[in-house]
Amino acid sequence: MSNVAGKAYGMNVLTPLRWWTALWQKLIFWVVVKTFPYFLKGLLTLSLIHYARWTIINRWSFPRLDKSQPKEKLSYSYMLFESNFNGSWDQYIDSFSFAIPSGLDMFWRWNIKYPKSIPLHDFYNYIRFNQIESGHYYNAYPLAAANDVKTAQKLFTNLGTFQQNIANLNDEEFLQAYQQFLADNQHSLGSMGESPLMSASHELVQEHQHANIMMARAAGKQEA
Amino acid sequence: MNRPLDLYDIQGNICKGYGRFGFPKARYFFLEFHDYAGGRNFLQQLIPLITTAEPWTGRKQPDQSDKPAATTNIAFTYHGLCALGLPRRSLDGFPQEFKMGMKPRAAILGDNGPSSPQHWDPVWQGDTVHAWVSINGQTQETVEQRFADIEALMQSVQGSVSIRPGHKGPDGKMLPYQDASAVFENGKATPKEHFGFVDGIGNPYFEGCGNDPERLPGRGKLNRDGKWEPLATGEFILGHIDEAKEYPLAPEPHLLARNGTFMVYRKLHENVKTFNDYVDNMAKDFDGSRELLMAKFSGRWPDNGAPLVLAPDDKAKAELDQKMAELQKKAAEGDACAIGQLKALEEQWINFTYNDDKHGAKCPIGAHIRRTNTRGSLETEKGAFDRPGALVDRRRLMRRGLPYGGHDELTNDDSEQGIIFMCISASIERQFEFVQQQWVNYSNDFHLGNDRDVLIGANNGKLTDKHIVQVNPKEGKAPFFCTHMPRMVETRGGDYFFIPSITALDMIAQGIIDPT
Amino acid sequence: MANTFGNSYGLTTLCPLINGVHDEQSSYDKITRRRIQRLEEDAGSPFARIPNTYFARLFILNDVFFQQGNDVARDHLKSKYLVFTSNFHGELEPYLTGMWNNAEADIRSLWQYAVAFDKVQNADDFVAYIKKCQLTTTLFFNGSNDVALKEQLKALYVKQAFSEFALAHQGQDATALRTAFNNFMAEIKLDDLNQPSWTPGQTRLQNMY
Repeated sequence: MSNVAGKAYGMNVLTPLRWWTALWQKLIFWVVVKTFPYFLKGLLTLSLIHYARWTIINRWSFPRLDKSQPKEKLSYSYMLFESNFNGSWDQYIDSFSFAIPSGLDMFWRWNIKYPKSIPLHDFYNYIRFNQIESGHYYNAYPLAAANDVKTAQKLFTNLGTFQQNIANLNDEEFLQAYQQFLADNQHSLGSMGESPLMSASHELVQEHQHANIMMARAAGKQEA
Repeated sequence: MNRPLDLYDIQGNICKGYGRFGFPKARYFFLEFHDYAGGRNFLQQLIPLITTAEPWTGRKQPDQSDKPAATTNIAFTYHGLCALGLPRRSLDGFPQEFKMGMKPRAAILGDNGPSSPQHWDPVWQGDTVHAWVSINGQTQETVEQRFADIEALMQSVQGSVSIRPGHKGPDGKMLPYQDASAVFENGKATPKEHFGFVDGIGNPYFEGCGNDPERLPGRGKLNRDGKWEPLATGEFILGHIDEAKEYPLAPEPHLLARNGTFMVYRKLHENVKTFNDYVDNMAKDFDGSRELLMAKFSGRWPDNGAPLVLAPDDKAKAELDQKMAELQKKAAEGDACAIGQLKALEEQWINFTYNDDKHGAKCPIGAHIRRTNTRGSLETEKGAFDRPGALVDRRRLMRRGLPYGGHDELTNDDSEQGIIFMCISASIERQFEFVQQQWVNYSNDFHLGNDRDVLIGANNGKLTDKHIVQVNPKEGKAPFFCTHMPRMVETRGGDYFFIPSITALDMIAQGIIDPT
Repeated sequence: MANTFGNSYGLTTLCPLINGVHDEQSSYDKITRRRIQRLEEDAGSPFARIPNTYFARLFILNDVFFQQGNDVARDHLKSKYLVFTSNFHGELEPYLTGMWNNAEADIRSLWQYAVAFDKVQNADDFVAYIKKCQLTTTLFFNGSNDVALKEQLKALYVKQAFSEFALAHQGQDATALRTAFNNFMAEIKLDDLNQPSWTPGQTRLQNMY
């Protein structure tokens, strides 16, 4: 079990909301999309999220695949929030709720018992309490934060263009162009590396998992 | 608005950096309590010696009678509070990182390789550091006198309290205490550390701290209109409302926590030779003076601490120096206009932002002071956040401490010199640990990947252990890469401490902390 | 209301699990959870083999679980759900087909006790099944980009490699630099997204210099 995959933290939060306010909430999200990027500017500038989504599950729309499966009878509709962001919730809750408190309130405002993003500990506890741990969390690039992915894409594109542009330059002109290229891309040259440790608890789990793998390997060798 | 603070209930080191108040000498030592009753008895006798945050009104006058010759403060580790018999429920209410202490947090703090806890001074081995006591003095003699007074108190409780020995001192000798001192030049105390930088300029200003309101601009929190406002008291002192409009996490009962706070103590060894060699080596290829390169590491000019945003290159620095010299001369002659101009100019040492330096062409984005106090610079799109300082107001640290070692000796890597780093905040995890981990030893918030701080980062001399000195892209010059950065600073010990209020200290000493 | 953002797709599925106990010993959700928890991580994860997966996760939704109060109704689920969500590049059908083709054994094991999964025999069945379990995303935020995974990984590789190149060749004269640069470009093969590149789920770096 882990909510951590390299530099990404996978969060699942399931919260109830009244079925009719669920419709309001959908409307709000629609407005957010239409007025994009005004509402999402804060999130984009924070630049901590790879991908995130909010899914409203109407109380009548839980999948039912067979008559043998009992029909759900629910009072509430539910909102599933699912985010892939850099750093843990404990580390970055302050950044989120200080940068975009009204945005967060807008996203959760119709949810039952939502306390608002400030004061912060009520909000922290609300999310924490309604969070569901992932059993398996996969990240295709554990060594890259969203910023790394974005700057990599920029650099990759720019390097391709640069390569074409230098074909007919003499060495001195090349040097000049190369230096300008470095200057133009100076914000995309951060070193790559492993994620900082998200918590002391996660450090412990990593140690245990490593030990598990070692034991499994040893057992495998014995069998062979 | 918070109520005015009871400065007589708050320990003095929380509100005052003693160095700035004319106490350039310090001694830190660590206690172990061997039994509850004797330990508490000792504390009761120590309380009258504890320095509070009361204002010293005579500071600016020639008569400084209300300023003591020496100060004394005390703080406890989690193990220390256990050893003094605090009830389990009160102990449980302390934050997790405080209960763990600094050593198990090594992976978070980047205390690896030569900074790993197994290499720390012997005093830190085991879990028997129970309390930190600090003495600051106007002279070494007053420090030693106060130390002798406290030793005498310890003798009176007959073995219930002892001093933990094992601080590596000059010549590798082990000492029962850690002495620290401002670096002296020509007999005068300076605000410099052993690499040669002016240090400790950017301390925060919070509501009720008792400091001169003139010190607010540049030290508080930045408003949208560019003005500064004091940070909420609860960012630095427990039992008061913080920036999140709530009371910080604290143990029960309220009286145990209120007016207390947390402190990080770290002995940071400075590899002076490694540092000097590295600067010399890099300076060969750098387009600018050695001083400018050093400034590009820290964000401030080494000689006088002028920020790079004020004087971004050698030419600007020479002009600034000249202007300063002229104003100082005129001011000395009593020219009121010059005095005002000088003051306004000096204010710019601290009252600045990075708004005109988005690229880092003046002050590199990864420079030490831009990392550790980002001001409004993380709001890269104007108006994106609720406040320009949204990402920094909850991450501020109050720096305390002094340099140690190094005087009059040949300073190389092996000699003992460095900084006793102490910082005070209401949450060690949210403030100190976050800054140390995310901003010193990592750079995602700056969009610089895994780059680390040149000066205090856990670098290992690899090619990619680097610092980018950014340029203005319109000038056609390449950015300069400081590569192969070695470990300039190594951790030699430290722990997390709780600084109780005078009220709480008295209740701990009486053994009447009761969370029932 | 959209599952897509440009070329990136956000898939959210709730797959009901059979109520009951296997061999009178362990409930189906428990067996499924254990299987999920024992999957290898990172490069060893089955998702590392499934083309274009940026992020994916699996967990069991046991019940709804929220703080109560006099003004709050009580809710409970009648089924437990295997929640499978994925962020990937491209269209849903080819993605799920790729999933089946590259991780059929894992899928069969993980979904074994999902309601009506016994009728799933091939990729088409799987696509149809997952679509029945799919929920429509209400708001999708893409804070990254939407290019194919191979391109993302190649770009990351190039970023790493070029940064190192720039550091290692600082201050070289024009001729030497140009030669080194040409060699470097030949080595990293910008146009070849397959290699050299980072591999999906890779957790260690190999430095070039």
